[in-house]
Formats: sequence, C-alpha cells, structure tokens
Amino acid sequence: MTSLANPEKVSMADVALDDSLRAEDGGRRLGFLLTLPAQLLVLFIAVFPLLMQLYISLTDWSPLDGIGWWQAYELWNSFANYTDLMADSRFWSALGRTALVMAICVPAEFLIGLGLAILFVDDFVGKRVFYSIMLIPMMVVPAVAGYMFFMLFQSGGPVNDILSGLTGMNVAIAWLSDPTTALIAVMIADIWQWTPLMFLILLAGLVGVPEDQVRAATLLGASWWQRFRTIVLPKMKTIIVIALAIRVIENFKIFDTLYIMTGGGPGVATETISVYIYKVTQQDLIWGYVAAIALVILVALSILVSLAISRMNAAKGA
Amino acid sequence: MTAIHLQNLVKRFGAFTALKTMDLEIRDGEFMALLGPSGCGKSTTMNMIAGMENPSEGRILFDGKDMNGVAMGRRGVGFVFQNYAIFTHMNVYDNLAYGLRMRRLPEGEVDSRVRKIADFLQLSPLLKQPSAKLSVNILQRLAIGRSAIVEPAIFLLDEPLSNVDAAFRAVMRTELKHLQRQFRQTMVYVTHDQLEAMTMADRIAVMDHGVLQQVGTPLEVYNNPDNLFVAGFIGAPGMNLLKGELADSDRGLVVDLAALGRSAPLGPALAAAARSNGSRDIVYGFRPERVSLAPSGEGMTMPVVFVERIGARTVVHLGTDAQRVKAVFDNDVALEAGVSAAIAIEPGSVRLFDAASGHGIREA
Repeated sequence: MTSLANPEKVSMADVALDDSLRAEDGGRRLGFLLTLPAQLLVLFIAVFPLLMQLYISLTDWSPLDGIGWWQAYELWNSFANYTDLMADSRFWSALGRTALVMAICVPAEFLIGLGLAILFVDDFVGKRVFYSIMLIPMMVVPAVAGYMFFMLFQSGGPVNDILSGLTGMNVAIAWLSDPTTALIAVMIADIWQWTPLMFLILLAGLVGVPEDQVRAATLLGASWWQRFRTIVLPKMKTIIVIALAIRVIENFKIFDTLYIMTGGGPGVATETISVYIYKVTQQDLIWGYVAAIALVILVALSILVSLAISRMNAAKGA
Repeated sequence: MTAIHLQNLVKRFGAFTALKTMDLEIRDGEFMALLGPSGCGKSTTMNMIAGMENPSEGRILFDGKDMNGVAMGRRGVGFVFQNYAIFTHMNVYDNLAYGLRMRRLPEGEVDSRVRKIADFLQLSPLLKQPSAKLSVNILQRLAIGRSAIVEPAIFLLDEPLSNVDAAFRAVMRTELKHLQRQFRQTMVYVTHDQLEAMTMADRIAVMDHGVLQQVGTPLEVYNNPDNLFVAGFIGAPGMNLLKGELADSDRGLVVDLAALGRSAPLGPALAAAARSNGSRDIVYGFRPERVSLAPSGEGMTMPVVFVERIGARTVVHLGTDAQRVKAVFDNDVALEAGVSAAIAIEPGSVRLFDAASGHGIREA
C-alpha cells in the first residue's frame, strides 16, 4: 500500500531491513556452530539421563534382572509405577516429613542467619575471628557432622549433660530412639550446619544495601525497624529469594547427616524422601519405581522453584 | 526556619583534624554556601549539622538549642545527597510520601500533601513512575520534594550538582535558587564549584584545610578577599598575586615588583593602610578582568607568554616565571606570544596582602 504511494522511501527501508536480517542470520548460524559442542555436552549431562530415567520409570526394570537398562522395554508396565506411587503411603509420609523438616529448618536458618548478618554489618572487636568461626559448620563434611551429632545426642551424651546442668535434674532423653526427639535432633543438626550459608549470603546482601538511602530514611525520621522494613528488606529481596531457593532445594534433598544419625529411624520416623529413595534403591532394588519417584519429585520441585522465581520477577517489575 | 550557630566546632578523625575551630552563624532563611576544594572540611561540617557525625569539640545550636545528642531523625533537617539517594525500589509517589508515612500520618493527609508538593515541583504526571530511571533534574526535584514535604527547618545540600553535566548545571542552578526562594528555608549548600556558590548563595563561607577562611556575600568575597587563599580561589582565573616590596616614589607609595618594574602609585587610603601595616614585604593583587592595555610608555611593560582564546574572552598570560600575570581581554585582542605589552591596572581594583601572614591589608 505504502509502496505505491512512495515507492522510493519504502524500498530503501526494505534494503535496510534485508541487510539487518542477513547479518543477524549469519551471526545466528555461526553462533549455533560455536555453541554446538557445549550444547551436545549439556545434552549428554542433563537431557540424556533425564530421558533414560523417564524410560526406566515406565518399566519394572531392576539391575538384578540380568538385562541392560536399554532392554528394559521387555519389562514395560506403562504407568503402573506412577499409579503405585499415588497409593504408596510410605512415599507420602516421607514427602510430608520432608516438607515438615523444610518448613521448620529453612525459616529457622533464615531468621538466625539474618540476625547474625545484621550483627556482623557493624564493626566490633573480634569480628574477623567470629566470622571465621561462624563459617566452620558449613565446612564440616556432612558425614562427619552426622557422627558428631550422633555422639552429642546419645542418652549419656553432652546434650543431656548440658541440659542436666541447666535444669539441675538428671536429664536422660534417648534423643535418637524417640520418633519426635529424633526428628528434632536431625533438624538441629541441619540448622547448625546450614545457618552459616544463609548468614553468608544474607550478609553479602545486607552490605550491598546503599548506605545513603538508609541514611536518607533516617533523616526522614524512620526508626530502625521502619528502615529495615521499608528500605533494607526490599533491597535484599532478590538475594533473599536466592538464599531461600538454595536452601529449599538443598533441604528437600536432606540425606547424609540424617542417615548417619538415625538411618531414617526409629522405624520410619525420620525417613525423608531421599532416605526413602535410597532404601528402595539399595535394599529393594526396584529401580523402575525409584526412577518414577525421583522424576515426580524433580517435576514438583521445579514447579515450586520456578513459581517462586516468577513471582519474584513479577514483584520486581511492578 | 531556623538559624544555625556553629560554636567553636572541631572535628578530629584519629590524629587528623578535619575541622579546626569553626565559628559560623547562619541566619534564619539564609542560603549559605560552604565553598572550598575537596578535603577542606565542608562535608564534615555539613554531616555534623545533620547529626551523621558528632563534633569532637564545640556545639551546634539550632535557634539557640544545643543539638548535641539529638538523633539525626529528630533534628528537623532535610538532606539532599550528592547522588540524591532516591529510594529506587519505590515509585515517585512513595518516595515523596516516605517521611510522612514514617511519622504515621493518616493516609488521607499523606495523599493531599504528596499531591500538593508534586504539583509545586511539577512531578504530578510522574507520580506512578518507578524512580529508578528518572532523569537527573527530576531526581533533584524529587530529592528536594521528599525532604521538603516533612517541612524541615533546615535544608542541607551536599554537592547536588556535581554529577550533572555542565550544560545542565546552569538550568539546575536556576531551578534550585528558585525553589529556595519559594520554600524560604535556611539552606546550607556544600560545593567546590565557585560558580554555584556565587550564583545561588546569599553568603559564602570559604574553607580550606579545615579552616574557615572568609564569610561574606558573593561580591564581598570576590571584591575584598580576606587572605591570599580566598583571593586565589575565587574567580576564574583567580586574582593575580605578585610578590613585591613597598617603595616610595615622587608620585607616592608604589610597589616594586622586581622584574616587572614598579606599579602605579597606590591610592591614598590604601597607601596609608599599607604604611600602618608595618612590613614592606607585601603581595600585590588585582583581578585579571581589571587589566587593560595601556598606551605605550605608560603602565607596566612585560612580555606575553601565552594567549588563551576561550571564545567570549581571551586570557593573556604575561610576565616572568616568578611573576606571572593573567589578564582577561576581549576576544579580538591583538596580542600574541613573544611580543611585549604595556598593561594598566584599574586603580580602585588593587588589593594588598601581608606577605608573611597572607592577610589582606584593608583600607581603614
């Protein structure tokens, strides 16, 4: 239409458009070639195992069957693993327990870590020493931490000794043999070990809050709490979401320390989803079923995290 | 509106003294500029007025009330930061409303006051915009509005124009002065740019190395500098300052400027002041703008070293390495490096300084 009215002008615009397209196309092809090795690598590291897992999850395959996993189609059971899973009460209770541990540990780690980070923003005597001490739990090998807390929570162990000293009574709680206290002990170990990570990330966020904006708020009459709520927290939102996401994902997979402390027991009292998967894999050897469980959890966790991140982005854009 | 009185204010950081016994009275409703090169103690002074730092000695009085121990949020001080410190995670409206909300005012009153000040500062169309990507002049207005809305008695501005490009600075200067007239608040303005201080301030406090050098109106400071630092610092280029010796001649008291010859005779009042000062070693000062070309045979003759043509005017550098003179002429002045020029100094514009102490020698 316009080309009839003003052919010259439009044709010039067309040329310019063509040129830019050509350049872009050439760049795209080159870019594709250059990233191809990396993409193949990602394919084999991430996508291939995932497809393999999906494939096995649709069969009854087990390594004891004497056939390779690629021949698992001989034991095809379509969605039986998934329907079994829906009816598996041990799976659901493990999932619920994992959620409970997460719902207590992550907020506790966040609040303690944030409190410590606030303390560490200002200078005080011995800050560097305390800072190093703060980070030690994170550097302890989880298995070692597991043994440490296993010892601490023995009925004749230091925890009971300290409680006895504090209360003046003879405290002899069998921490790891009682379903409730075992779960508490496991959570204490997780909080001890991972609060420093929270502290470290939140401190970085806190230091990054622009000081002059905090000062401006002070000069406008904002109290400490008002400044914290209206300036510091909003500025830290991104880093808080990152810290929480890391800990939610990690805590969901809680295994090593816990397994050494209780082995998931007494009974199934501390059996989280990872422990359950481990037991099904190593003791019952039903790999097709395990693949199904793992896949369901992967999908659930992915949805959870991407929801959290998209909500954060939406809030940021507003 | 509040008068500020700084009494014997001293600030030390460890062994370093940032501010040496400063005494300054800032009148109610006055626009006072603290002017000086970086590190002169002007920002330290400002931070102490705001309460961000505590004085090592001395007192700060607001309308006679000692501010020592009064938290910065309770001093009634509005502060405009060098980079404006706008809350970038809030929109324009929430920035303006911040101070009122922190005082827990009812949202209805907050809203009406925000709209009033937004109208006044022409921010109304921008109220819903995120503040992170606003242009500098809007940021400045927003920063001022955010402080002004809580009606502080005192406004402190810390080099608010230093991040702005030169062309825009002129616009912002005008705008700022206009705003101050409307708010009629006591304003203290820290700057190292004398143009800002000269154009906006009612009075200027010139500072150097933690010492208050001179306080006065822009013209007082420009015309009658109290000492050599102020004389050299104010004006672009600064005052010509030539070492010389008082000498008697048959036409009256003159200054012997060594290689440059003798000056024209001093005026009777200035001569009398110079005689009563005692010392013969003095510094002979005059503004480059007060120099004209003299008919040959008159004035002081000296070689032209360098000619700087800056468009509207031409700055000519004359004299010797030891006694360098700058003179400002019209842009078409017919001088070039290598020639000799005879210059005459406007008689009333000569200022003398004691060479030893650096203090100005004032006519009685």
